[in-house]
Amino acid sequence: MFKFSRFQVVLLFMFLLYFIIIFRLVHLQVIKGSYYREISENNYVRLFTINPPRGKIFDRNGVLLAYDVPTFSLSALPYIVKKREDLEQLEKNLKDYLGIELSPKVQESFEKGLITKIIVHENLTDKQLKRFFNNSYLFKGFYVEVVPKRKYTEYAKYMPHVLGYVGYPSKKDLREKPYLKPDMIVGKSGVEKTFDEYLKGEPGAIAVIVDALGRQKKVLWEKQAKRGNDIYLTIDARLQKIAYDSFVESGQKSGAVVVVNPQNYEILALLSYPTYNIQKFTDGLSAKEWKKILNNKYKPLFNKALNGLYPPGSIFKIIVGAGALQEKIITPYTKIQSGPSFSIGKWTYRNWNPAGCGEITIAQALEMSCDTFFYQVGLQLGVDRINYYTYKFGIGEILNDEIEKKRARVPSPDWKMQRLNEVWFYGDTINLSIGQGYLAITPFDATKIVVPIANGGKVYKPKILKAYFSNKDQRLYKMPDVFLRDVDVNRHFINVIKKGMYLVVYGKRGTAKRMADAPVKNAGKTGTAQVYRYLKRKQKHDKWELKDHAWFVDFYPYKKPKYAVSVFVEHGESGGRVAAPIVKSIIEKSIDENIFIPGN
Amino acid sequence: MNIKDYYKFIKRVDLFILLPVLFLIFWGTLSIYSASVHEYGNLWLKQLFFAVISVFLILTFIFIDYRKLLNYSVHLYIIGILSLIYVKFFGLTILGAKRWIKLGFFTLQPSEFMKFVLLLIIPFMLQNVNLPISIKDTLKIFVITAIPAYLTLIQPDLGTAITLFLPFVFIVFLAEIPKKYIIGTVTAVIFLIPFVWNHLKDYQKNRILAFINPDADPLGSAYHILQSKIAIGSGMIFGKGFLHGTQSKLYFLPEQHTDFIFASIGEEWGFIVSFVLVSVYFALTLRIFYWGYKIKNLPGKFICYGAGGLLATQAFINILMTMGLAPVVGITLPFLSYGGSSLMTFSLIIGLVLSVISVYKKERLQFG
Repeated sequence: MFKFSRFQVVLLFMFLLYFIIIFRLVHLQVIKGSYYREISENNYVRLFTINPPRGKIFDRNGVLLAYDVPTFSLSALPYIVKKREDLEQLEKNLKDYLGIELSPKVQESFEKGLITKIIVHENLTDKQLKRFFNNSYLFKGFYVEVVPKRKYTEYAKYMPHVLGYVGYPSKKDLREKPYLKPDMIVGKSGVEKTFDEYLKGEPGAIAVIVDALGRQKKVLWEKQAKRGNDIYLTIDARLQKIAYDSFVESGQKSGAVVVVNPQNYEILALLSYPTYNIQKFTDGLSAKEWKKILNNKYKPLFNKALNGLYPPGSIFKIIVGAGALQEKIITPYTKIQSGPSFSIGKWTYRNWNPAGCGEITIAQALEMSCDTFFYQVGLQLGVDRINYYTYKFGIGEILNDEIEKKRARVPSPDWKMQRLNEVWFYGDTINLSIGQGYLAITPFDATKIVVPIANGGKVYKPKILKAYFSNKDQRLYKMPDVFLRDVDVNRHFINVIKKGMYLVVYGKRGTAKRMADAPVKNAGKTGTAQVYRYLKRKQKHDKWELKDHAWFVDFYPYKKPKYAVSVFVEHGESGGRVAAPIVKSIIEKSIDENIFIPGN
Repeated sequence: MNIKDYYKFIKRVDLFILLPVLFLIFWGTLSIYSASVHEYGNLWLKQLFFAVISVFLILTFIFIDYRKLLNYSVHLYIIGILSLIYVKFFGLTILGAKRWIKLGFFTLQPSEFMKFVLLLIIPFMLQNVNLPISIKDTLKIFVITAIPAYLTLIQPDLGTAITLFLPFVFIVFLAEIPKKYIIGTVTAVIFLIPFVWNHLKDYQKNRILAFINPDADPLGSAYHILQSKIAIGSGMIFGKGFLHGTQSKLYFLPEQHTDFIFASIGEEWGFIVSFVLVSVYFALTLRIFYWGYKIKNLPGKFICYGAGGLLATQAFINILMTMGLAPVVGITLPFLSYGGSSLMTFSLIIGLVLSVISVYKKERLQFG
């Protein structure tokens, strides 16, 4: 048999490629040449992209929160418009027939005759549509596109920060994700952004031959758009509304409420107050409305629940107490004399209650939120061990980057040296022991304090996406609960802290006695965090900005907790008086609406 | 040197290589003028500038003994790798890819120049081997090729990364690597790819696709090929005439002056010129292979084989791509596409080949 040498094989390969190319050239240019010539001369090939509807967003019970509706936009291809060369007449026609005035941006692109399509007018009315189609010969290069628009339901209005909003991709998005096109809709914040991958779907495109009037004559090539996948949040829309209503009824101006299931860390409600109108935001705000929102001193756009860092105050004593028990600084029965003030060197640290606390155990110290008790315990525990437990609880750590964007500030000697170029003083440890000083956490972090106490010491990965429905596989994928770790505190000690939190509500000297008549046994901890440390005692500070922050964390039912709540009221003055009643209102309302049935 | 010496050098130049290349460079500048003047203004001036430099480079090489260059191949290789690493960190980002180094008015693409460097270092490393090539030597030059190819792939630039392997493939194949290794490698790759692919999740596949080929946007590439086909086909036999291509003038064609320059030429000049151009590439390739076959000195032989294989394959794949017969991977059409780096690299390669031929002729005269 004849055998090819390697050199001959290579030559054969080259000959083969050469002949394929020549045959193809003959096919395209000679055989089908006139066909392609006609297409190109009339230059009636157009490419239209088709934006698919985004997936719907539901709450945990299938309550619809966000969906897409089709709207009609008037678009134009500027290079065809330019060929008309009578832009003035066109402008007149647009105004007379459709009542549309050209924006400077559109005008400029017409004058330049750009290749990329431009949207001339969004949300065409039926009347405008009819008039356009009846007079389309006047508008060469113009066409009507179906554009899906995001709509939010009644329930969505209570959770604009959770849902976020959608819009056209930014220049940065376009640079980083080459598959995006300028006229695609993408999530810009909230779950719309986090779960954009599920929601966005796949855009389609269609290349067609059109006639002189822009009517489609033949489809050359088509790629179907694929609608986005629906997602189900862990949020309970009814509970979210209750949290909103309860906050509004409290009369407070600004704050956050987070409700979670302590047994798996599903987020049931996440409110940042005040809210903004999510629909208006998506549809586009006028400059005046923008200015109003931006100048609002209660910052409605800012998601305080996840991104606001505030000193936690006394709710932090839970972690210090748990750490002190675990490290055997104290036993559950150790009684410590806690007077009206505690001195170290020439510095004196006062108790919030000038009467002092007397000789008390850890549970009692939590009950009356005794500062002097925690000064002493915290100092013995030391900053390193306090921080060890803080991190064990998940504070200073992002447990789920789909939810949290901001890390809590957990100060340490190294941190202080780096940031402020100062050494760490005992005073800093003392301040830290009662959640003051440099420590700052988000209202969401506050749930990290209470969840492990409620569930016996377990840290779960927080969850906001319950499930998504894959259109491709036609099935629902449920997101699993993810157990991360134990907080490294003996269960027995957790129960001691739990008891202390019970006394906060039901004890004789409890700081949240207002919660005692809530319709379900619960346990909590108040916090009142100083904003300005250097104000003189008794100095009147009526200005809102100078008032203390109010915190309350709570879980219920006491025996088998199903709900853990953190309430933060910015400059709310008092955790017990202002924040706690909001939790009480949430409990009462959710029982009224049969969301939660006590004793079940 | 006196005039007589110059004459001796010039006599040793293979005109069957030099003239076709000058012809291609000339057409390239002309076509880029037509394809870009309406949109980018004086882009063609830049190309003209690089064309002049390139011709100068080719003519300079005639006077250089390539064997001296081989001794610097390791230095050039290290410089090349360093500049690829530099690009990774400080490179200029255009359309999501970091491929360029900015040098004042110009940008350079180190991955292109790497083709030239590989055509030096591979023959240098193989200068004393016995044929058929051993598996050990094959692996050595594979690693030498894979390092710059990987650095190019992560820019990301799939097209150039693939073309960097072409010299390796042709040289190893023609160096009589045993058949069992070829069959083994090809089978392994064919069986492994679908296996791995099927075990990936959808979003992973998309990510990989977007990663290795960001230029091909999911909407556009099929549409672009369609437009490219319309452009070429509408040229018919004689073309629409210089500067009269409507497809490219109306911006229908993507990258009309770079990767899709052939479509623009096909539209304006029609079948005859397209046929001539393709044939010129083919003839050029055959001529380079002919010298590779004839020259017995190993580095010289391998330079010719590698250069011929690279030039032909890159040109033909690019042309097949514009006609809808190959996937869109961003590779240029040698000598015709816009881009100083590509033009200068291929000019350096042709200069190298001319030097190999010149040295061969000189020694044959002396000893033959």
